[in-house]
This record gives sequence, structure tokens and C-alpha cells, in this order.
Amino acid sequence: MSSTPVVAGRRRRRSAPGRRRDHVIAWLLIAPALVYFVVFLLYPALSALYYSFTDWNLRTTASWVGFQNYVDLFTDEVKYPHFWKSVQVTLQYTIIAVPLTLGTALIQALLINAIKRGSNLFRLLLFLPVVTAEAAVGAIWRWLYDPRYGLINSVLEVFGIPGQNWLNTPELVIPALAFISAWQCGIAMIIFLAGLKGIPGSILEAATIDGANAFQRFRKVVMPMLRPTTFYLLVTGVIAALQVFGLVYVIFSGAGRSVTGGPEQSGLAYVLHLYLFAFRYDAMGAACAMSFILLVFIMIITAVQFKFVKQEAA
Amino acid sequence: MRRLSIYGALIILTLISVVPFLWMLATSFKHGSDIYTKVPQLLPLDKETGEWAGTLENYSYVMEIGGLGQAFLNSVWITLVLVPAKLLVDALAAYAFARIPFPGRDKIFVLLLGGMMVPTITLLIPRIHVTQALGMFDSPWGLIVPNIASVIDIFLLRQFFLSIPKELEEAALIDGGGRMQIFWRVILPLSKPVLAVVTITSFLFHWNDLVWPLVVLNDPELYTLPLALQQLVASPDGGRAYYIMAGATLAVIPVIVVLLIFQRRILAGIAFTGLKA
Repeated sequence: MSSTPVVAGRRRRRSAPGRRRDHVIAWLLIAPALVYFVVFLLYPALSALYYSFTDWNLRTTASWVGFQNYVDLFTDEVKYPHFWKSVQVTLQYTIIAVPLTLGTALIQALLINAIKRGSNLFRLLLFLPVVTAEAAVGAIWRWLYDPRYGLINSVLEVFGIPGQNWLNTPELVIPALAFISAWQCGIAMIIFLAGLKGIPGSILEAATIDGANAFQRFRKVVMPMLRPTTFYLLVTGVIAALQVFGLVYVIFSGAGRSVTGGPEQSGLAYVLHLYLFAFRYDAMGAACAMSFILLVFIMIITAVQFKFVKQEAA
Repeated sequence: MRRLSIYGALIILTLISVVPFLWMLATSFKHGSDIYTKVPQLLPLDKETGEWAGTLENYSYVMEIGGLGQAFLNSVWITLVLVPAKLLVDALAAYAFARIPFPGRDKIFVLLLGGMMVPTITLLIPRIHVTQALGMFDSPWGLIVPNIASVIDIFLLRQFFLSIPKELEEAALIDGGGRMQIFWRVILPLSKPVLAVVTITSFLFHWNDLVWPLVVLNDPELYTLPLALQQLVASPDGGRAYYIMAGATLAVIPVIVVLLIFQRRILAGIAFTGLKA
């Protein structure tokens, strides 16, 4: 790329005052974005790191405590009785919701890819849940899961399955939340669909001529060719699931601004736990420490996923 | 036969995706006691005569007493100010990063991209304090200014600007046009697809956003629609599904309209940007 003809380079070169004017214009153009970046991204990131090493709440100024917050979070069960519970809830949610969501998305994409008529309409309708506000999603599903009058239980009863108190039974909370996540799988569906369209028809034809049936074609041709797409969706899906918050917040909203983690903390997502410590228990330093534990964890998980895929490819 | 089963499966999946919305809509038109039936009834029909017995009272209740009318207006004007302002900030920066060489440009750009890696929750607490320090806490400006740019949007716009053939600009440069003239007359008109994608995704994001308004607003008069809806869910009215569903409908209708109008751009855009997940 750097070997563009010298002559063209000469022709393009502007005079020295022109270049200087360009620099000024460039700085003016990026100035608003740069100010935003420094004030609302760089500074908050660095100060969150700093505060994670302090004891800090709204009444006192921050005082340096070293690694105390981190140590306490991991070991002090009196101070942070639900920390490990929130880790467990979040991991469980991620392990159930991500495969369920990607699986649903893949099935939807395969089906849509197999038809011609009406594919746009199906795509659009399956995408609806994605553009819906978390607050509305939470509100709608609270009503759908209602133990006495909810639509879910009514439908189950038609099939002879007894109704459940979904959001008030500890064992059912995570499956219920994961189902909502799968309901909102539209983005993954669209991306899978783009991946499927990228598979050359000639390869599938060749496989068919070689006598591969639909299932074999799917396993031996489609799945391997979708691997980069699946990997991308897996990484972004895990990152998003580990940070699930808005939905759980609305689902378990209580009176005023209070919020619970569901029955027996069964829906106490990690970020919800963090939020409670920052805004209800006024432990900002500890909350910042929690946010950095999450940051590091996300980085590790992502690195592991990358490594795993590389090894598989080798 | 095979085709029939494919359509059958798709119709079932689509029903799962759509029925919650229909149920929301139906509930929102029902009179209080009518929603509590053992056998679910989709339409608000009179039990005896079977005639239409829907009501708009739930809407007037949540809009007036629940404060969702005010919240709707707040959401409208804040998104109307924020989305174009943000688009301008992002596009100007993206243009400089794509086209104007200046010392340190690429280093600054990489630094910006690094900022994308930090989870929002990590930034949340200090951001509140910055917003307080700027005197914007609990004010509409607190919703606008801290969201005035987006690194991922700058990245997307820059990638698109880079794909525009340089020759088109050189012609304008030789004709004596300045950088800004090129930006307005050449770059922006050629970038409609990416501008549309960025505008729509940023509208959807800010219209739907709950977390930032939740931490930055106290005054109920300033609530945005998602926050007012969440507060309604959390209020003593939270058990009254007909109110909640009327509120949810108010939040959902505008995005459905946007989705219907811009469906092609949105779906094509997501295929290459992955939305802002």
C-alpha cells in the first residue's frame, strides 16, 4: 500500500501553510469527540481503577486501602454475603442463556434461509423483540409469567402442564430469564443469516451430488463454514450475558427505587449486585472493585475463547 | 411437504416472538377486571354480547397520573437533540481520522478504540461524579452531554469514509474547495447508508436506555419513558397489568414504527455492525 507512485504523492502534497491549516482543522474536528473521550471514558476508567483501591462513599472522601476491597469481596462473607452467589447466578445464566439464544437464532436463520417467499416478513417479525426497550421487555414478561393470570401458564395448562410461579421459584428464575434472552435472539439470527448467505451454493451442490443428505450437509459443510460467525456471536454473547442488568432490574423491581435479586437471590446478577452496593449500600469503592473484577474476568474469558478456537483450527 | 414443515416451524417461532406484543396490546385495552380470566381472552370483548368493549382509560391513566405522557415528551425531545448532535460530533471526528493527515492521528485513534473495551458498568460510577461536577446531574443536559459521542460510531463512520475514492475529493480540492466543503458536499452525500445505520441504532439505543437515566435523574418531571415505565412497574400500580401494558405499548410503538420504516437499512446494518452489543 505504501508503494503508491511517488509522482502521485508529489501531486497530492499540499503547501506547508496548507498542511498547517489542515492540522488545525483536524484538531478542531476531533476536539468534541476527544473531550468526550477524555472526560467520559478515559478519566472514568482510570478513576474507577483508583477508587477500587479506596474506601469511598458519598459521605466521606476516598481513603486508600490497597487491595482490601478485592480481598474482602472474595473472602469476607459478613461484609459481602452474596458476592459469590451473584457470581454463580451470572455464570449459570450465561451458560444457559447463550447456547439457548444462539441455538434459537441458528434454527431461525436456517429456516428463513430455506424459504424464498415471505422471508423478509419473518425476519422482521422475529426481529421485533430486539428493538424493544428493556423496561418494556421486563414489564411484558412479568405479566406473561404471572402465576395466576399469565399467558405462559395458560398455554402450558392447555398441554396439561401445571402452571408455575416462574419468577418466585428460585430454580425457575434463571431458565425464565434465559428464555427471555432467547426470545430476543434477533441480532444473532440476522448475523447467522448473513453467514449462511456467504456459503457458496456450489459447495452445497457438490455435497448433494456426492450423496450427502440435509443433516450431513449441515454438519460437514454449513457448520464448519459458519464457525467464524458462531465464534463472533459466542464471544459477544458471553460478554453481554455476563453484564446482564436492565432486564433483571425491571423484572425484580420493588417499591420505589428498591430492587431485589429475586427469591433467595436466585436472580442476583453480578451487575445488579454491583449496582446495589454502589447505590443502595453506598459502597462506591467496593463497587468499583467489583467492576474491575468483571473487566478482568471478561478479558480472561475472551482470551480463552480465542485460544480455544485457535487450537481447534490448528 | 418439506416446505410445508419449514413454514410451519417458522410460523410457530414467529408466533412466540409476536404474541407477547399482541398480548401486551390486548391487555392495554381491557377494563381492570377483564384481564383476570382463567381462560385467556385475546380481544377485549364483552362477555355477554361479544361486542368490542375496549377502553383507552388505561392510557389516559398512565399518561396523566403515571407521568408517562410527560416522560414520552421528554424522551422525544432528548432523542431529537441527542441523536443528530452525536451524529455530527462522530462524523466530524471520523472524517478527520479518515482523511486529514496530522501528527499522532493513528495513535489517538487506537487509544479511542481501546476505550471501547471497557464495560459500561465500570465507567458508570465515575461518570455520575463527572456529571455532578459539571452541574448536569438531575438535568436533561446530564442525559445529552455524557452521551454526545460514541467510539464505535466514529469507527464505523471512519471505515465507510475510507472506502470513498479519494479522486472524488481531489477534484474538489483542485477546484479550490476547503476541507469542510468536501465534508459537506462530497463525503456526507456519499455516506447516506452508514449515516442511516448509525442514526437508527443510536436512536434505538437512547430511546430504550434505562440505566443512565436511572442513575442520573431524580426529578420525576424529567424521567424518560423507560425510566417512567420502570417506576410504574415498581409503584403500587405495578400489579395492575392493564396499566403496565398501556405504558409498555407507549414505549414500544415508536420503535416498531421506526423498524417498519427503516427495516431494510436496520437489518442490513446489523449484518455488518452487529448492532451495539
